[in-house]
Amino acid sequence: MSSDFDPGDRIEIQWKGTKFSGMFISRDERVTVIKLQNGYNLSLDNGSINSINLISKFVPKKTNISERTGTGKKVFLLGTGGTIASYVDYETGAVKPARTVQEMLYAQPDLAKIATIDAEIILNILSEDVQKKDWINIAKKVYEKADQEEGVVITHGTDVLSFTSSAIAFLLENPKAPVVFTASQRSPDRPSSDAFFNLSGAVKVAQSDVGQVCVVMHSSTSDDSLYIHSGVRLRKMHSSRRDAFKSINTEPIGMIDKNLEIHWRNYERLSKKPMKLYDKMSERVGLLYFYPGMSEELFNKFADINDGLIIAGTGLGHMTNRFISQVSDYTNQGKIIGMTTQCLYGSVDMDVYTTGRNLQKAGIIPLQDMLPEVAFTKLSFLLGNFDAETSRRLLVKNLRGEISGRRTE
Amino acid sequence: MKIGLEIHFQVSGRKLFCECKGEEGTKELGSFTRKLAVVSGERSEKDAAALQESMKGREFEYRKTENSCLVEMDEEPPHYPGKDTLETAIIVSLILGCKVVDNVHFMRKIVIDGSNTSGFQRTGIVGLHGVFKKGTSNIGITSVTLEEEACRKIKEEENKVVYSLDRLGIPLIEISTDPDIRSPKEARDVAESIGLAVKQSRMIRRETSSIRQDLNISIRGGNRVEIKGVQSLSQIEKVLSKEIERQQSLVEIAGILRNRDVSTDFHIEDLTNSSFFKSSDVFTKGLKAGKKIFGFTLPGLSGVLNNGKYRLGREIAERLRTVGIGGFIHSDELPNYGIGEAEKKEISKRLGAKNEDAFGLVSLESNRLSQCIEIIQSRIAEAKKGVPAETRGANENDTRFLRPLPGSSRMYPETDIQLIPLDSEYIKDVQRKVPPTVEQRVSHLESLGIPRQEAFVSLWKEYDDVLESFVNDFGSPKVCARFLAVVFASERPDVVKASTLLERFSRGNIPSESLEALYREGVFIMPGGRKIVLKKNDSSNYVLELHGKDGNKEIGPDFKFKGQSDERLQKIIKSVIMKNENLVRERGDGSFKLLMGEVMKQVRGEFEGKDISDLLKKMISEASHKDGKTEFQDAGKR
Repeated sequence: MSSDFDPGDRIEIQWKGTKFSGMFISRDERVTVIKLQNGYNLSLDNGSINSINLISKFVPKKTNISERTGTGKKVFLLGTGGTIASYVDYETGAVKPARTVQEMLYAQPDLAKIATIDAEIILNILSEDVQKKDWINIAKKVYEKADQEEGVVITHGTDVLSFTSSAIAFLLENPKAPVVFTASQRSPDRPSSDAFFNLSGAVKVAQSDVGQVCVVMHSSTSDDSLYIHSGVRLRKMHSSRRDAFKSINTEPIGMIDKNLEIHWRNYERLSKKPMKLYDKMSERVGLLYFYPGMSEELFNKFADINDGLIIAGTGLGHMTNRFISQVSDYTNQGKIIGMTTQCLYGSVDMDVYTTGRNLQKAGIIPLQDMLPEVAFTKLSFLLGNFDAETSRRLLVKNLRGEISGRRTE
Repeated sequence: MKIGLEIHFQVSGRKLFCECKGEEGTKELGSFTRKLAVVSGERSEKDAAALQESMKGREFEYRKTENSCLVEMDEEPPHYPGKDTLETAIIVSLILGCKVVDNVHFMRKIVIDGSNTSGFQRTGIVGLHGVFKKGTSNIGITSVTLEEEACRKIKEEENKVVYSLDRLGIPLIEISTDPDIRSPKEARDVAESIGLAVKQSRMIRRETSSIRQDLNISIRGGNRVEIKGVQSLSQIEKVLSKEIERQQSLVEIAGILRNRDVSTDFHIEDLTNSSFFKSSDVFTKGLKAGKKIFGFTLPGLSGVLNNGKYRLGREIAERLRTVGIGGFIHSDELPNYGIGEAEKKEISKRLGAKNEDAFGLVSLESNRLSQCIEIIQSRIAEAKKGVPAETRGANENDTRFLRPLPGSSRMYPETDIQLIPLDSEYIKDVQRKVPPTVEQRVSHLESLGIPRQEAFVSLWKEYDDVLESFVNDFGSPKVCARFLAVVFASERPDVVKASTLLERFSRGNIPSESLEALYREGVFIMPGGRKIVLKKNDSSNYVLELHGKDGNKEIGPDFKFKGQSDERLQKIIKSVIMKNENLVRERGDGSFKLLMGEVMKQVRGEFEGKDISDLLKKMISEASHKDGKTEFQDAGKR
């Protein structure tokens, strides 16, 4: 039996004594997938197929994608993975990611009504594969566009979105143009996708005068409003819902209604101060989630390979007393160890219990209400660009709105 | 003539892609709103573009229910189908002689009317290429698919549709036949036989709304028309017969138009300030609402818009109604609506209509005129060719336009769940659970002395197991059959609750107490307190008696329900209609539901539901007909 077929080829197949024609889709070691005329895919075990014959080779239909780029204030779309712009080829049932501006507008036609769009896909990796060098590349590209006073919308996977948004916030000081992240929890091949509304909202924000890196996502399960979160204060709090992202220990900085009107609450406007790009991040910073019974060996190994450690501790900022003497040793060596809370909501307070006080005495720095991953990107940024002493000082200083003294919830 | 059926059965148990219960009418728990985007891949297609236009900006409100979770909300990926559900689909495939697929491969079928929160319906083929033997003919079975039921529509407002999530995700088995059926009667028979055969799986939900048919029909010289949502078997025949008449008349109209000078170059005039409509309520109402009145010629269409069986006018009106333009009136239906013969002539003259020309009138906002005219032009262009390929909705007796027939379904793979392999060992296992065929089962019941007709009824209503054990325990097969036929006569669960009892009984779970009482003592308590009693008589044979609330015998032995006293029923209905005279006059057929309730209260299970509803419908229509409601009013309601 030959398997020299290309996706889209018309074939006739004999299976279990019956015969039908369809389109060849794919074949692996176990099954052959064909698409019937009525649109259904059939996955037939290779062993149960009697024969496949070619009827005709596939001639792809040309997709008519226009050359327009839209109208309105210019916005630059930066694709970094995640399939916020993709479309379905119903002939073969394949979902195709948009790779050019034209394809992006074909997949997201409403954008053309809001803005003149330019786009570039600089990364195409899964969220969880993002590395620190990718953040630097993104920051460089954003700097280049913001320098031309062009608002930038960065599309990103949702899983590590708050790592990336906070990293960019630290790497880019006083952006000259809005820098807005957005993502989708339902891929845009689905009519129900949140990508359309999220992206339109993000483009609107990119045309505003907001001067802090922000993230635009659904505020509830309904398609009726979006929240604008500070890029250093949010977290994905649900694995699948549209409203997964929540501002933690603060309110969202604004919301966008269903008519795409922005309602700001409390936001920072673009600064007159010169924009500055930092293009380094320390690779020797790690984030450790403390758990009961954690071994000293693990803690030591982790501390050995890093210059900076962020601990996600329990409650008000604790980990076991057993580690106190090592902590002392490591901080005496000049390593920076910062404490955040696994609770996410609320601040650490290491004065309340003896353990906290002892950990402080051993040199651990309480990081107030900074989120663990934000503390992680911040310390990576600090140690990449400043000496240890400055880093230690800046770590507890509010640089981009990542720390607040006052909480209401 | 070619007719194909798509029969849908809801499967009982849990929902297809989550663990929620497959019930309708559970408590509402808040709501949320969504929009659906027409995904770009389809924009090249013209019909999809039209659809998109009609859906533009439309908002969908979904009501959460006790039996819905994040899966129905499109906030969580689908879970794997339940074992029983999948097995039922395999059993149904095997009953219908299909080949079972090696792997179930779920697809996403794009549906953007909001009836699925995701914007698509998940569906996968389980069986293929079967043959169903019906008498001497073989009906090809194209496929058996397992898919998710859509949301239940609660209401439709101008720019918003409200749905309940209770029904979304109930498993549906769809059986598609090849277009091998040759008459409406045969279509009904095939649907009935397939229904009966599939019910033997004992996994089909019993609610009356749980079985639905879609019909595909084309006649010589026509085009394929799909009719959605036929709820009952008797409706199949009626709807198909009417649809065939409609299609034949369209073919004839095309023939007539070929010999005429038909053009879509209308002469249009603003008649808002003319005096033609002074005594027309329809138009003066529109004027008060700030609308304008436009008249236009319909060249070459006189006598085909509304003339005996020719009803092109209605076809045009239906199309306009889908975009919210009502009140299209044409010259074939005048004089009427307060427009006299004299005005008709004057309008015709004013518009410059020639001999074979008709004219149309419409009252609307002036910015909608061009849309209105375009729709009429496109329908006339189709009329010249004959029968347009359409998706139509089933009414009680006929059909209405829903949308153009889409091209092949827009489908792509469901990537959230992997292929579900069905290995041959597993299929062999399931094969053992395939129930005996209907004929085998009927023959067996006949061998116990149960009359053939009643054996069929017991299978249809799924009490054949109960019947069999009754006969084994009591003897007297004919009396037992009659008794149970009465007990299970009503399909309304609120009347008998038998379906619930039966559900448990036939599943082999503990028989409920009431069924036990029924079984042990042969007494069935009807709503209102009357009892049917299965009793030994002096010669030790079983007989049936009807006992009143007080326990005294009313009728018996072996009383007959059906037709036992039509006069008495007539009397009751008449008194109810008299009592509600005004309601009947105002609402006509619309008063049926209210009156039915009242009649049922009075007859308390003495007559069969269907007999009551048939007679009540007839008597309501006789009573309200005297008022002579116009067709226009009726049409407006639809």
